[in-house]
Amino acid sequence: MSLSSPLISAKGIIRTIVPMTNDNHLFEFSDSSGALRACKPGQFVELWVPGVGECPISVCSGRVGDTIQLMVRKVGRVTSALFQMSEGDWVGLRGPYGHGFPVDKYKGKNLCLVAGGLGVAPIRSLWQYVIDHREDFGKLILIYGMRHSFDLLFRQEFQLLLRRKDIEVYIAAEDTAGPEIPSLTVQLGRVTDMIDLAPISADFEVALCGPPVMYKYAVERLQKKGIPASNLWLSLERHMKCGIGKCGHCFVGGRFTCKSGPVFSLAELNLLPEVIECNHGGI
Amino acid sequence: MNNCFVLVKELFEEFFALLQARGVVYAPVRVSAQSFSFRKVDSVSEIAFEALRTILPPKKFFYPQQETIITYEGDTIREHEPEIPFQILFGVHPCDLAGFGIMDTIFGAEPADNHYRRRREKSLVIGLSCMPDRHCFCQSMGTECPRGGYDLFVTDIGDEYFFSVGTPAGFELLQSARELVSAATETHRDRYKNFWNTRADSFTNGFSPDNLHSVLDMEWDNEIWTELGQRCLSCGNCTPVCPTCYCFDLVDIASLNGESGERRREWDSCQFSGFASVAGDFNFRPTPVDRLKFWYRHKLHGFDDPYGFKTCVGCGRCTVSCPAGIDDLVDVVKRLQKSRERVSHVTK
Ligand SMILES: Cc1cc2nc3c(=O)[nH]c(=O)nc-3n(C[C@H](O)[C@H](O)[C@H](O)COP(=O)(O)OP(=O)(O)OC[C@H]3O[C@@H](n4cnc5c(N)ncnc54)[C@H](O)[C@@H]3O)c2cc1C
Ligand code: SF4
Ligand code: SF4
Ligand code: FES
Repeated sequence: MSLSSPLISAKGIIRTIVPMTNDNHLFEFSDSSGALRACKPGQFVELWVPGVGECPISVCSGRVGDTIQLMVRKVGRVTSALFQMSEGDWVGLRGPYGHGFPVDKYKGKNLCLVAGGLGVAPIRSLWQYVIDHREDFGKLILIYGMRHSFDLLFRQEFQLLLRRKDIEVYIAAEDTAGPEIPSLTVQLGRVTDMIDLAPISADFEVALCGPPVMYKYAVERLQKKGIPASNLWLSLERHMKCGIGKCGHCFVGGRFTCKSGPVFSLAELNLLPEVIECNHGGI
Repeated sequence: MNNCFVLVKELFEEFFALLQARGVVYAPVRVSAQSFSFRKVDSVSEIAFEALRTILPPKKFFYPQQETIITYEGDTIREHEPEIPFQILFGVHPCDLAGFGIMDTIFGAEPADNHYRRRREKSLVIGLSCMPDRHCFCQSMGTECPRGGYDLFVTDIGDEYFFSVGTPAGFELLQSARELVSAATETHRDRYKNFWNTRADSFTNGFSPDNLHSVLDMEWDNEIWTELGQRCLSCGNCTPVCPTCYCFDLVDIASLNGESGERRREWDSCQFSGFASVAGDFNFRPTPVDRLKFWYRHKLHGFDDPYGFKTCVGCGRCTVSCPAGIDDLVDVVKRLQKSRERVSHVTK
């Protein structure tokens, strides 16, 4: 049993800040504890801005070494305070928490990754992991949807991904008006249109991360393609305050999302009350 | 079983002096015509032996309403380790002992919460028997007989107090009182048994718990929730008074210059409107109906996670403290059970 508080964070010094859009910056922190090396795709950490508060942020890179990358969107108190900080300042980090995407189960299988909006942050940890261990997996399809093509994150990384032969990438935006982005093919449409388009068959494992509304429609289309509920993996967002199964903020029905999740298979979610992300489909 | 002792009631003063010699003694004290509170007591006369439910449950001694858990100064982050005086809780009833069991499980699960543990370990708990009133339903929840969570348990058997030993620390305390206590005789044991039998027959409130789990599963969409939820004020009274509500918020308090500060933990309530809201102004339980039925399910159905226990111990505190008069758990369960009977009758 650990003798120090599970709620205490280790210092993380901001090494670099890369603005991706006005409100989405990629932060790289040094990890003084070394604990974050254990991060797996889909897990999260609690980021603390002293004097302001904490919030859960997904691990954004496939491998965590001396540093960890987090993609943060400025939405409220903690994230705005972080956006005021500069390289060299320190924050608190603790984690990793939760069960991420079951990469061991995915081994040897065909994989489709579906990201909506900021959901691309945790999905990035997964594609980087898969590419790092490419020979362990079958086909790899990546679908990324957003409202406006301005919102596209990881533009340069996508340019490289689009050139690779071992991954098929589909990017869609509901609105693409505005300055041209010559090097990236962004199709007009939604995540659901890309699911229809992509050669996904019933034997695929599918990992999804996006807003609740996306899940409902995406899951419907994927099920139409014959993918069983046990192959559909959804990452749920709840207000995780402690991350360790104590504070109760992340309850879904009787389960702690922070411990049992955030990633669940649809087959599990179908049995839980309060899961607004799925339709609790009949037989 | 040899670990049963008795103390003649006249000698309780002397036993109390032994407790005081070990630490600060807390016990139920009458604070108004109808209410009791666990307070520090300096003499036996202050103790309300007749008290049933205290306003707040004794969880507050291990898990205070507010506590500093982390401090920082410059770039040094420190765990806050306050000096905790040894505390003796006297007069904890079976429902609240069962409540300790649930709190111990939650805070003890890995990663264990040492803020809770430190206080728990610096305490001695002495349980006390009670006679149910019309709001008690520990019998329905299976918590009416103390099964743990205490160092010593005291049963009132008339002229004497009957002591059951729960832990080595409790035994050691009795050893230090060996001048005062004696081994229980057959007669004492008979009176002890009689007390618990009489008590078991005294419950006027309750329900048959056998189908509780399935009823709550099946009645998730029952219109009762809408009716109750529409009357709920979302005041959150029902959660701090519950011996098993453990939800908290973590807040930062910064000094004026921003150079130092602390992180505090405070009791929170799932009945507050923002409890389950996330970024993008999205609330997973937007209405009182959603919040109330979540709470009921958590209390009466329990966890789907491995703990596998219900989190109501039948103390009746939520019922007596709800200003809207809707938090009558027993009544709600009976209505839910009834509504299924009605349906099965119709479809026969
Ligand atoms: C597992 C997980 C992974 C995540 N990963 C990322 C990530 O990689 N990147 C990222 O940017 N974000 C991520 N998030 C989301 C992030 O944690 C939230 O956006 C977080 O709320 C931001 O904190 P904040 O203090 O800046 O915002 P807050 O000040 O908490 O405000 C955010 C929103 O919370 C709501 N809110 C907060 N408090 C209350 C209240 N008392 N009453 C009513 N509503 C309230 C409001 O709707 C507000 O719009 C993740 C969340 C989870 C659960
Ligand atoms: S739910 Fe009500 S009756 Fe049950 S333990 Fe909590 S306060 Fe007591
Ligand atoms: S005490 Fe009653 S009114 Fe207040 S939140 Fe609980 S159920 Fe609602
Ligand atoms: S985040 Fe606190 S219990 Fe899950």
